[in-house]
Amino acid sequence: MTFFHKKQRNPGICRGRLAQSLRFCLASIVALFLIGRLPAQAPGQPAQYKLEAVFLFNFAQFVEWPATAFPDPETPFTIGVLGKDPFGTILDEIISGETVKGHKLQVERYRNVADVKNCQILFISTSEEARFLDILARLKGQPVLTVGESEGFARKGGAVRFLTSEPKIRLRINIDTLTESKLTASSKLLRLAEIVHSEVK
Amino acid sequence: MRRHSFVEQAGALTFSAVILLSFATSNTFGQTNLSEASPLELKKLSLEQLMDVDITSVSRRPEPLRQAAAAVQIITEEDIRRSGVTSIPEALRLADNLQVAQVNSQTWAITARGFNSTVANKLLVMMDGRTLYTPLFSGTFWDAQDYLLEDIQRIEVVSGPGGTVWGANAVNGVINIITKSAKETQGLLLNGGGGTEERGFAGLRYGGMLATNVYYRVYGKAFDRDGSVVANGADAGDAWKMGQGGFRIDWNAPGDNLLTLQGDGYGADLDTVSTAHTHLAGGNVLANWSHKISDESDTTLQTYYDRTHRSITGAQLVEDLHTFDIDFQYHVRVAERHNLVTGLEYRYTHDLLQNGPGLAFLPATLDRNVFSAFLQDEIMLRENLFLTLGTKIEHNDYTGLEFEPSGRLSWNFTTNQTAWAAVSRAIRMPSRIDRDFFFPSKPPFFLAGGPNFESETVIAYELGYRAQLHERLSGSVSLFFNQYDDLRGIGTSTPFMIDNNLEGETYGAELSATYQLLDWWRWRAGYTLLQEDIRVKPGKTDINAGHSEAIDPQHQFSLTSSIDLPRGFELDSRLRWVDRLNYFAGGVASGSVPSYFELDTRVGWHVTKNIEVSIVGQNLLHNHHPEFGAPGPGRTEIERAVYGKVVFRF
Repeated sequence: MTFFHKKQRNPGICRGRLAQSLRFCLASIVALFLIGRLPAQAPGQPAQYKLEAVFLFNFAQFVEWPATAFPDPETPFTIGVLGKDPFGTILDEIISGETVKGHKLQVERYRNVADVKNCQILFISTSEEARFLDILARLKGQPVLTVGESEGFARKGGAVRFLTSEPKIRLRINIDTLTESKLTASSKLLRLAEIVHSEVK
Repeated sequence: MRRHSFVEQAGALTFSAVILLSFATSNTFGQTNLSEASPLELKKLSLEQLMDVDITSVSRRPEPLRQAAAAVQIITEEDIRRSGVTSIPEALRLADNLQVAQVNSQTWAITARGFNSTVANKLLVMMDGRTLYTPLFSGTFWDAQDYLLEDIQRIEVVSGPGGTVWGANAVNGVINIITKSAKETQGLLLNGGGGTEERGFAGLRYGGMLATNVYYRVYGKAFDRDGSVVANGADAGDAWKMGQGGFRIDWNAPGDNLLTLQGDGYGADLDTVSTAHTHLAGGNVLANWSHKISDESDTTLQTYYDRTHRSITGAQLVEDLHTFDIDFQYHVRVAERHNLVTGLEYRYTHDLLQNGPGLAFLPATLDRNVFSAFLQDEIMLRENLFLTLGTKIEHNDYTGLEFEPSGRLSWNFTTNQTAWAAVSRAIRMPSRIDRDFFFPSKPPFFLAGGPNFESETVIAYELGYRAQLHERLSGSVSLFFNQYDDLRGIGTSTPFMIDNNLEGETYGAELSATYQLLDWWRWRAGYTLLQEDIRVKPGKTDINAGHSEAIDPQHQFSLTSSIDLPRGFELDSRLRWVDRLNYFAGGVASGSVPSYFELDTRVGWHVTKNIEVSIVGQNLLHNHHPEFGAPGPGRTEIERAVYGKVVFRF
């Protein structure tokens, strides 16, 4: 019980300003505890998508687009979300005020693939799972970094797949697709990803 | 899947079990508290750090809950980093289901569910599937176990028998130290620092890519650790130095093959409390091949060679141990409802001793073979009800065939609550200290090993409950009742003879809870109750009436607070209280280690993405305090310690 004795050995401190501070601290802790307990808090977006949104932002910096991707210097850098948007406002918050090589970052949301225009990164939501092969076929050869989560996404021609079945997010990158789309990923990004090739049909 | 994970092994064959366990027993919020981290904070992370963030937060979409009918606690890499611990045994303090006592600067007494001593023998300890085991006393020489702590991915601590899958020695628990894959340790890491007890330390790791999908890392580390003190504060003279290096290569080969080759080498010089001096050296190399045949089945083949050298100059005792092990396992899902795991293992040890005039192990050279096979079936009785039945059959040169069966039932009665129950039998097969130990080293002996010493056995009954009660609150409770037979004691014959002359029961409870009070403030609490009734078997005698086997705290308690402060600062504190240890001599009370409170605190600061500095205070509440050992002026005590550390990551 030395722990308590040590405190008593210095009663002077406890009486003065420190005691007041301690009381204030205690009150704060109680207050915080109450706030922390409020279960009515909005659950927010799943952590997974928060992280994926940050990855999308990082891709803009670790991948090089060909000059044709930006018709003029004023063309914004667009991250598109096709289908049901899992990010909420997170993606917008992350890219807010950011630029990539002088291009202002913006987020666009698309209902279907026909709406996709002048977009550099396209996140294809799992809501489009049934259609992703058609979507990829339509974008084939265009300088668009396609990103998805569906089974077989990367091996079937998507550029980047998030693998989320483990507690950490892993990346699978189809190197063939990058070449076809004239995109160059930095070695730093490639080093952290699992590299695959397109499945030969 | 690699052999090295208990959870994978024990039938919870999907990662979801790990996820569930992490929820329930530990803090798996990763490097950053992701659940409510601001976009600004996340943007600051490097790609490597992003890959390292755990998405297993409470807000993740529900995973199918799988059974893991055991008392598991997981020490995450984040727990290790934020606690400021500097060694593996110290990290084990973070598991509330262990009894951990530091004896002096080199020696630890670590056990689960009782029977603690510096030569504790009822725990199986592994690193990446390699047994950290000495056949001298069926335990672990903690001074020879080290790693670059930053490269440890997690430590799974299971209290309770694990014999069915892991075999002899997993009597009261299994500790599985799992290092990160080479892919998870890409880039350069440099650390260094020093302080009052940690006089100086440095570590270096570099990870790179050899070819597509072939990753490697190499590492080295060294430390100089100050000695402990005796009761009057005088130095105990047990300072030591150690250096270690190693490598790991992982090849994610085509066709769902994962090949790993890894190895370590170390050397240490230890001054000891007596006039002796100890020199340690050793190394190991391990190869693992995991092949996924289909979504339903996979195989793992693992082999390793390990050698250790220990010479104690004062006692003139030298040991050279060579261990060779090969292990195969096959997992298959049959008819939807059955998850079968089966395995075969062979271990050969060649133990060579040079005995001094004091104590001796006779014969001096001993070869031992252990063959074992196990089969375990996880049966889905209903969608949320799993029954796991299995047994291990093991043949050892001392006692022949041994059976270690178990039955486990787990019921996931809601998506975030699991109750489980288990009955299992485990054994501790004889070790050299039981059979081959003599003092003095030539007749007439004062103390002698028992030529007929048999395996110690336990039948364990366990009940557990684990829950994610609320988005921010999780907890677990485990209850156990163990019946032991043929426990080791020392008979009062002439000479004193080691014998299976004790029996008894233990029971207790292990509780832990994690509460995310605020997005930036997490609490964790743990409590362990342990009651032991060890007695002399009818018709037998013991020089200490069985008391030597029960030097354990009846209660222990810990409280941890982890705060994320603005500007990349972190503040972590852990308070622990350990009940008193009672010592007996000749069956009569002879004193105690008083109960104690201790406090460790770490202040960390992420100066930039690449630089982290921290100041750690350990055992802050006393100048020095004893944690283990019979009372006396020579008993070593652990001093208050402070150190600073810098970590660079590129």
